[in-house]
Amino acid sequence: MSESTLKQTASEKKPTHPSTRKPRGKVVIFANWCKGCRLCVEFCPTDVLAFGPNEFPYVANPDNCTACHWCDTHCPDLAIIVKPIEDESQG
Amino acid sequence: MNNIEQNAYSYLRTTKKFPNIWCSGCSIGIVMGALIRAIDRMGLDKNEVALVSGIGCTGRMPVYLDFNTMHTTHGRALAFATGLKLAKPELKVIVIMGDGDALAIGGNHFIHAARRNIDLTAIVLNNEIYGMTGGQYSPTTPLEMRATTAPYGHIEPPFPICELAIAAGATYVARSTVYHAVELDKYIEQAIRKVGFSLVEAVGYCHTTFGRLNKMGSAVEMMRHLKNVSISLSAAEKLTPEERSSKIVRGVLRDIEKPDYSTLYEQVIERAKASVTGKEFLRAGPGGLE
Repeated sequence: MSESTLKQTASEKKPTHPSTRKPRGKVVIFANWCKGCRLCVEFCPTDVLAFGPNEFPYVANPDNCTACHWCDTHCPDLAIIVKPIEDESQG
Repeated sequence: MNNIEQNAYSYLRTTKKFPNIWCSGCSIGIVMGALIRAIDRMGLDKNEVALVSGIGCTGRMPVYLDFNTMHTTHGRALAFATGLKLAKPELKVIVIMGDGDALAIGGNHFIHAARRNIDLTAIVLNNEIYGMTGGQYSPTTPLEMRATTAPYGHIEPPFPICELAIAAGATYVARSTVYHAVELDKYIEQAIRKVGFSLVEAVGYCHTTFGRLNKMGSAVEMMRHLKNVSISLSAAEKLTPEERSSKIVRGVLRDIEKPDYSTLYEQVIERAKASVTGKEFLRAGPGGLE
């Protein structure tokens, strides 16, 4: 396969624009258990979480969530749950 | 991963004071999450599991988990667990220890539990320092690092936990870091399933004492550091020994089959029962009576 066709297939496989993509997970934070350690905010690969003015994280961009489960598997206070959203179009 | 996170909360003693006692961002909570996920995925009942711990920050973990739990004296968690396993062999006994608890105060229990090959799952959370008492150096503090009892740098080489367990005769030895939490719960699951002494070294961090004394930053920076210095076993094989010494090698370092202590002990009981008197059995010698 030549280099140009490789590039083409790579571009075809790219996900659609974030604004048109559906979220795959719903992030829920228990504010009572959170200590504000910043791990989830700093390591979220799609910037779903952000720091609020009160030094605690909140769900800033819920549509970006890909349900990768980084935040809920690494939360030291077990204060995050990511509920997967089933995609209806895929059955 | 469906519902695993939600089910995990059924293993917590939510009547205890939450949020937990550990510092904000502490790696012990991540290991606790990994342990819950491993047990949940295996579908074990709460009554089938016994969790034993010693003293230290890590020793607080059984307080929050709703299994048969035992919070024992400093360093003696493996000794208590050995007694528990012999009395109730049907229980899955998990021992959770810190690095100082397992290797300094309980160093002899550690090597002898591995030598006896008793069916326990030991999880050693290695944060390279005594965190609870204010940052004294532990047996796993790396060379030249600072601690409150080594203000000009540590001059003793650290204990390699996994290599020590392999040399002492453990049947399953694996190492991972808290950054690789999903890999960690996979190893914990394999270790619980393994019959024989199995060890999982969970490399964590203590940003409150170790991070502050060594100017390594907050929990986020220490987590990034763990991500950068850890490599998989297959990648480590391509490196020279000098390059490898500065890395944390993740992976299953040993997985062998060997009869465990409880099985051999049952055979001894059967042999003793078969003999008419104990004296006769003793006279027959090691080969038995046949």
